[in-house]
Amino acid sequence: MTADQRVPLVAMHGITKRFGAIEALVDVDLHVHAHEVVALVGDNGAGKSTLAKMISGVLQPDAGMIEIGGEEVALPSPQAAHALGVATVFQDLALCDNLDVTANLYLGRELRSRFARDDGRMEESARRVLRELKSRIPSARTPLRNLSAGQRQAVAIARTLIGNPRIIVLDEPTGALSVAHTAEVLTHVQRLRDLGLGVILISHNMNDVRAVADRIEVLRHGRNNGTFDAATASYEDVLAAITGAVPLGRRTSSRHIAG
Amino acid sequence: MAGSQSALRAANRSVVVDTVKQFGGLTQVELVEATGLSPATVSIIVRELLGAGVVDIATTTRSGRRAQLVTLARRVGLAVGVQIGHRHLSVALGDFSHEIIAEQHLPLPHDHRVDTSLDRVALLVSDLLEQVGSELVEVVGIGVGLPAPVDSGTGMISVRGLMRGWDDVHIGQVLSKRLGRPVHVENDANLGALAESTLGAGREYLDSVYVRASYGTGAGLILSGRLHRGFAGTAGEIGHIQVDPQGAVCRCGGRGCLDTVVGAQALIEPLRGTYGSLTLRDVISRALAGDRGCAQVVADAGATIGEVVAGLGVAVNPQCVVVGGELAETGELLLGPLREAVLRRVLPNEIAPIDVVPAAFGPKAEVVGALALALQHADVVLEVPDVVVPGVTDDGSREV
Repeated sequence: MTADQRVPLVAMHGITKRFGAIEALVDVDLHVHAHEVVALVGDNGAGKSTLAKMISGVLQPDAGMIEIGGEEVALPSPQAAHALGVATVFQDLALCDNLDVTANLYLGRELRSRFARDDGRMEESARRVLRELKSRIPSARTPLRNLSAGQRQAVAIARTLIGNPRIIVLDEPTGALSVAHTAEVLTHVQRLRDLGLGVILISHNMNDVRAVADRIEVLRHGRNNGTFDAATASYEDVLAAITGAVPLGRRTSSRHIAG
Repeated sequence: MAGSQSALRAANRSVVVDTVKQFGGLTQVELVEATGLSPATVSIIVRELLGAGVVDIATTTRSGRRAQLVTLARRVGLAVGVQIGHRHLSVALGDFSHEIIAEQHLPLPHDHRVDTSLDRVALLVSDLLEQVGSELVEVVGIGVGLPAPVDSGTGMISVRGLMRGWDDVHIGQVLSKRLGRPVHVENDANLGALAESTLGAGREYLDSVYVRASYGTGAGLILSGRLHRGFAGTAGEIGHIQVDPQGAVCRCGGRGCLDTVVGAQALIEPLRGTYGSLTLRDVISRALAGDRGCAQVVADAGATIGEVVAGLGVAVNPQCVVVGGELAETGELLLGPLREAVLRRVLPNEIAPIDVVPAAFGPKAEVVGALALALQHADVVLEVPDVVVPGVTDDGSREV
């Protein structure tokens, strides 16, 4: 591996988090560059979602350091994370069925003109975002209840693009989708990468992960358990690291001392 | 006497339908030229076929004039074109005019599994059919392209080791059993050649070569208007021609194959030091955006491919080389050096100087070829009641 001199968008060093007797994360490292999709994989309870929640400001680490753009930051709340350019799509999507696509994209951060809500400007930039994503959503005025599961996921992803983020966290975006909808979401993930964003993709599906990720980071029992180049890594190697079939000696080159 | 007349009419009808099928869609004037039948006969037959719902007529323009475009009616059947690539899967629905009605694109992992990928093909096909309000029974056939040589008899990959885990699978059989429709499997470069030579950039020429520059490199040969596959389907596998005797060992077991020099991995490797993690798609989009390093890599690949294609040119003397595949999306960045290398090496002749052009269908050449393959094999049942001479007992129906 060649030494990477670039400054990562996000770097997490020695992250540790305990919930009582549960060791959710122990001394975990993770870094993501611009124009890169990093997949976070592991069994149930391996700590994937906990780590994602720390980047998005929902949880705070007991120990360890988070850097964004090379500077140490504190992320006490989701608002703080959002202000620093981190946008997250959680598993439940958090969309409103009775509102249309535009309203969902701007939920909670509606644009205002001098006296009232600026619907025209919102709809215009909603269209721009949908177009950037090359999504197949027919109109920005369609109510959410008329959209398919895949289209909803696309709306949730499009929502992250409002406010020019740098890092997108996607938690199980293809979880319950059909193959056709999975195809669309994976194409959107590629699109986010093409836009120069850093993407953290959490998924159980090894196929989806290996299809769009640049790098695969394996977590096992809250610890780093291997880094793989997705373009060459074999299914067997990644699976072995997830299940612990290989001894921990594999934890690799991605580790460097913070400082 | 009446019997032989109606037999003649039936024969003419099937000539017209075959011709429409071959070209996808053409005007009545073009039909006259293509079939050699008289304008009156063509006009009568087209009216009959229209009445029977076998063909549709749409208004189009030819050299500035309004004209009637004849296509096979969509209800005659849909075809499915599938392209299984190294890193993606494309599925398209088309009808007899070779028009793509719906399509879907799915990114695939490196070394994707045969069972998972074929399962996804089947699911995507039925999803897409649902999208256009159709069903599997409407599908006349399914064409499948693979990035490896295919034995047409068995529908299996004919050279071992090129696609890990795919060697012993009857791909055609697995899919036809699953979907219940006829499945035809073919090499992807051959499909590109089929599409470009019947409907695209090579349609003017009897002898042409289609070069597919992608994650790997391949070629399809059209000789005297027909696809030349070779006995085991390995004709045109230029990705495995040796270009560097001291080079790396290829998947096929040979040393220094073209694929080890211009394949995706080989193109990305020298860029890694300065660019970090890259994919082939990145190299293409950065080259197009003016990045000199990526453009250099693409240009060098073009020159190397060109030298090999020149050898192919000497062997088969094509009138035209059509270049497709992902790398061809860089346009002249790839084509310029490729053309130069071909023209420098190929034997010049005065009668038909060789032409090097981009694929008319671009990245869709392979799925269009897969559609064309499925349509070529499809039987169209002609149930045309004899309307010209009412009361004749011969019903004039005939299978083509």
